[in-house]
Amino acid sequence: MTAYDILEMLRSTLQTMGILNFTWKVVVMWGIGSLFLYLAIVKKFEPLLLLPIGFGIFLVNFPLVPLMGTTEAGYPELIRAFYHYGLEWEIIPCVIFLGLGAMTDFGPLIANPKTLLVGAGAQLGVFVTFTGTVLAGFTLKEAASVGIIGGADGPTTIYLTQHLAPQLLGANALAAYSYMAMVPLIQPPIMRLFTSDSERRIKMRQLREVSKTEKILYPMIASVVIVLLVPAIAPLMGLFMFGNLMRESRVVGRLTDTAENALMNIVTIFLGLSVGCTMHADKFLSAKPLFIFGLGIIDFAVCTTGGILTVKLMNLFLKEKMNPLIGSAGVSAVPMSARVSQVVGQQYDKRNYLLMHAMGPNLAGVIGTAAAAGMFIAMFGD
Amino acid sequence: MKRFVLLSVMLMILIPSVSRGDDFLGAPLPPGGKVVFQSGTRLEKSYPLTYEEAIAFYKEALKGWEDIKFWERKREIKIEEYNVRPWHSITIQKADGGSTITVRKDSWTWILGTLTMRFIGVFGVLVCLYIPLSIVGSISGRIALKKKAQQKRENKDHLDAA
Repeated sequence: MTAYDILEMLRSTLQTMGILNFTWKVVVMWGIGSLFLYLAIVKKFEPLLLLPIGFGIFLVNFPLVPLMGTTEAGYPELIRAFYHYGLEWEIIPCVIFLGLGAMTDFGPLIANPKTLLVGAGAQLGVFVTFTGTVLAGFTLKEAASVGIIGGADGPTTIYLTQHLAPQLLGANALAAYSYMAMVPLIQPPIMRLFTSDSERRIKMRQLREVSKTEKILYPMIASVVIVLLVPAIAPLMGLFMFGNLMRESRVVGRLTDTAENALMNIVTIFLGLSVGCTMHADKFLSAKPLFIFGLGIIDFAVCTTGGILTVKLMNLFLKEKMNPLIGSAGVSAVPMSARVSQVVGQQYDKRNYLLMHAMGPNLAGVIGTAAAAGMFIAMFGD
Repeated sequence: MKRFVLLSVMLMILIPSVSRGDDFLGAPLPPGGKVVFQSGTRLEKSYPLTYEEAIAFYKEALKGWEDIKFWERKREIKIEEYNVRPWHSITIQKADGGSTITVRKDSWTWILGTLTMRFIGVFGVLVCLYIPLSIVGSISGRIALKKKAQQKRENKDHLDAA
C-alpha cells in the first residue's frame, strides 16, 4: 500500500464525516435552532412546541444527516416518515384537534355567544395578508396558506398549507408556532395602541352558569352548523367537536384522558420534531420563507387589531359594554391570548378578571380560523 | 378534398396539442371562432363547437397546468386560474348551435371581491352558530329559572308546614 492509497483512504473516510461539509448556512440554522431552544427553556415560551421544533432545526442542519431524505431502497428516513404520515397525510393536525376538544371547556363561549363575532373579526389579518402576499408575487394558493398564519392556529395552518401549498409547510408551520409562542410579546403593545384607558377598565358581568345539557348539545350543534356550511374543514372540526363531546358526556373518561394527555403528547413530539426538521438551511435561507416569517408578524398584528376593533364596533350597539382587551384573544392561541387579555386588564385594574370573558373570543377564534381555512380550501383546493 | 379538409379541421379541434389555436393573455383558445366582444380585459368568442367539444378542448389544452380549477355549473363551466398568469378565467357557455368562450384578465377586483366575500362568510358561519346557541341558552336559562322558582316554593311550603 502506497502513501497515496493511505491518503485516499483517509480522504474518503473524511468525506463521510459532516465536518468537511460544514457551511455558514449550518451555523445560521444552528443559531435559529438555539434561539428556539432558548425561548423554550429559559423564557418558557410554548416549550412543548418550541423545544422539539428548536431541536429539530438543530438536528436536521448537521451536514449529511439522514433524517428527511429517503433510503437507497426508497423508504423514508426517520423524521421523513413522521413528516409524511403525520403532516402530509394530515393526521397530526386532526389528532391535535381531537385532544384540544377533549381539553376545552366551551362554557364561556356558550354563556356569551356574542363573542363568536369577535373570533370572526380577528380573521381580518388573514385576508389582509392574503392581499399583501399576492402583491409580493405569491400564487393565490400560497397567499391563502400564508394568510392563515395570523389566525395563530398551528394545526389549522398545517392543514391548510398541506392542502394548498405543501412546499411552504415548513416555513408556515414554523412562523405560526413561533408567533403563537410570542403572543405575550406581540399583543400587549397593540392592545394598548387601540384602546383607551377607560375602555381597558371596563368590567364585565360575571358569566352565567352553563348547564351540562348545553355543554353536551354544543358540539352537536357546532358540528351541524360548521360542517354543513364549510364541509372542507370537517376533518378538523369533526374531531374537535368529537373530543369535546367525549369530555362533556363524562361517560368515556378513559378515552378523554387518553385524547387530552397521552395521545396529545405523542403527536406533539412528532409534530414539533417534524416541523423543525423541515427547516433545512437550503430550504429556509431563501427569500420566500424569510418573507413569510416577516409577513407573519404583520398578519398576527392585524388579526389582533381586527379582534379589538370588532369589540369596539359591537360596543356601539350593546347595552352592556365589553372590554376591548378581550378582542385580542380572538386570534386562536388558546389559552395564551386569553391570559394576555387578563394580564393587560389587571395592569389597569387589579380587580378586573377578564380571563373567562376572553376565553369566549379565544375559542371563537379557533372556529373562525378553521372556517377561513375551510373557505380557502373550498375555493382553491383541488 | 372536402372530406380531407373537414377531417383536418375536426382533428385540429379534437387534438389541441396538434392544433395551433389562438390565445388571449396566454389563455388557450380553440382555432377559429367569431369575436363577439373584445377589450383589453375580456374576450368573448362564439364557436361552432358543441359545449362538450369545447370542454374537451380545454381539458386537453390545460392538462398539466398547475393551479387550474374547473367549476361546473348548470349551463356553463368556468375554469379559474390561481397562479400568476395574466388571465383569470375562461367561461364556456352553451349557446344556440355552438358555444361561447369568454376569457377574463386577472384583476384585483376579483381578488378583493372574493376575499371580502370570504371574510363576510366567516362572520356568516359564526352568526349561524350564534343563533342556535342563543336559542338553546335562553331555553336553558328559562328552565333553570323555573326550577329555581319551584325549589324556592317547595322550600317555602316546607318551612310553612314546619
